[in-house]
Amino acid sequence: MILNPSVVALLGGSVASGALLLGGAAVGAGIRAGWDLQSGSERQLRLERRTVLVSLLVRVALALQLLLLFLLVFTADALAPQFTGAMCAAGSLRAAPYGYPALLTGLLAAFLSGLWLVLDHADGLGHDHPLLRVKYAALLPLAPLVLGQAALLALFLGGLKPEVVTSCCGSLFGEAGRGLGADLAGLPRGPVSAALVGAVGAAILSALLVRRTARGAPPSAVDAWSLAASAAAALPIGLAAVVSVLSPYLYELPTHHCPFCLLQAEYHFVGYPLYGSLLGGAVAGVAVGLLQPFRGRASLADALPALQRRLAGACAGLLGLFAALAAWMVAGSSLRM
Amino acid sequence: MTLLEAREVHRVYHQGRPDEHEAVAGVSLAVEAGALTVLSGPSGSGKTSLLTLLGAMARPTSGRIFLRERELTSLPERFLTEVRRRTFGFVFQQPNLVRGLSARQNVMLPALPLGLDHAALGRRADALLEQLSVGHRARARSDWLSGGEAQRVAIARALVNDPEILVADEPTANLDSALSRQFMAIAADLKAAGKTLLLASHDPIVTDSPAVDRRVAMRDGRLEGP
Repeated sequence: MILNPSVVALLGGSVASGALLLGGAAVGAGIRAGWDLQSGSERQLRLERRTVLVSLLVRVALALQLLLLFLLVFTADALAPQFTGAMCAAGSLRAAPYGYPALLTGLLAAFLSGLWLVLDHADGLGHDHPLLRVKYAALLPLAPLVLGQAALLALFLGGLKPEVVTSCCGSLFGEAGRGLGADLAGLPRGPVSAALVGAVGAAILSALLVRRTARGAPPSAVDAWSLAASAAAALPIGLAAVVSVLSPYLYELPTHHCPFCLLQAEYHFVGYPLYGSLLGGAVAGVAVGLLQPFRGRASLADALPALQRRLAGACAGLLGLFAALAAWMVAGSSLRM
Repeated sequence: MTLLEAREVHRVYHQGRPDEHEAVAGVSLAVEAGALTVLSGPSGSGKTSLLTLLGAMARPTSGRIFLRERELTSLPERFLTEVRRRTFGFVFQQPNLVRGLSARQNVMLPALPLGLDHAALGRRADALLEQLSVGHRARARSDWLSGGEAQRVAIARALVNDPEILVADEPTANLDSALSRQFMAIAADLKAAGKTLLLASHDPIVTDSPAVDRRVAMRDGRLEGP
């Protein structure tokens, strides 16, 4: 293991997040099983007090997951000079087993954590804990995922040794190579560009339609589900497009498809707002659809449409930022393909 | 009409510890709208604990409190704060005015989170101080007020959000007999104006006042009598 502050923060953060979430999921399952709002029993009142604390702890744990995803990428990038052959995070993540699995599960955990945080926020808008059972049920699959990610991260960081010879991003994300990175780099630019414009455009358009819904009225099911579906599609398509289409323009090299070099100072750290806006926009858009089935809950009748409108606005804004950055990468490049 | 109701309410302090104490032991009580109800009993009988539960300042260990048909005890804190702010006004044993602020500023304090027009709020505070005969002391710092004046400023502060229910815990404990009678006269006026009053006291000036509609005696955390 290479000990530096980022590695220690990553390990400490993921262990703390996993432990909090494990405890939260266990207590949450107990709350869910014993919950009876009609009862004034000592047990029920204890559960009501406990859910306040548990929700707070889980919120902290899951917010940490979002930060840890970006810290993992930052750390991998910062460690690159220690490995022979590594030019950026792409090589570092390959310098020990489980690097890419840790990153991908971290991405999934961050996405689902974002959705859970929206669900928890919506629960707090109702006076009678209207989504309590749903949100604690959702923790049951999320907790093992976060724990699994923490284990993968520990295995990856524990396996890192200085001076290991690793692959550079050029071979990992080269069109002639093998593996997922090479497959993504080799995707045809035209269809991927069309899919990107289609998914992001559809998500922004659906988000604007949800925003246009009259104040106080819930968005139509068609608008909400269209937004959720297009925002969900925008995340993988956007990531694929960064590798396949956008990164060569930024590097002004038609053969350089690395999705990590754009996190470096040389490229104005554009990767952080690019990925952050894509992930945030996808979470906000999918959350609009996630909340749609609960619009009938009496205590959420007023608050939920307003929250869905705010989420749609956030989705449109964040995906708009992603589209603007992508357009800047292409339009500002001297590369023409 | 029942405005506030406790159903089988228990309040246990230091639960599970050697010094566990049940201050309220299974109390059910209905408080009528527009009435002046007094909880009486010796020290340690559970009056203050029951008052804090009915006033939504604390949550019971078990049992439920209802405001009309709305159940209060399970409300998340931000909803309960809203209910507390709009429905209840509190007068404590000590006036608990903020030192250094004027009487007027103290009265305005509970309404500040509502974001009302500041000038209109100031006029409302002045009107309340005038109504309670301390209008001439509106600009005086709270630490310059006499005990009676401070108590009336505290009542004005409790009324600034125009609550339905005024809750007062031993409001005359630090007042002499004349001021205590003056307090009960104010309480009678508030009742006449349609407010519901809930007091905890063992002061005979309060408990024997003709303004009182209902006396609820407590001992050892339980209600006595019918």
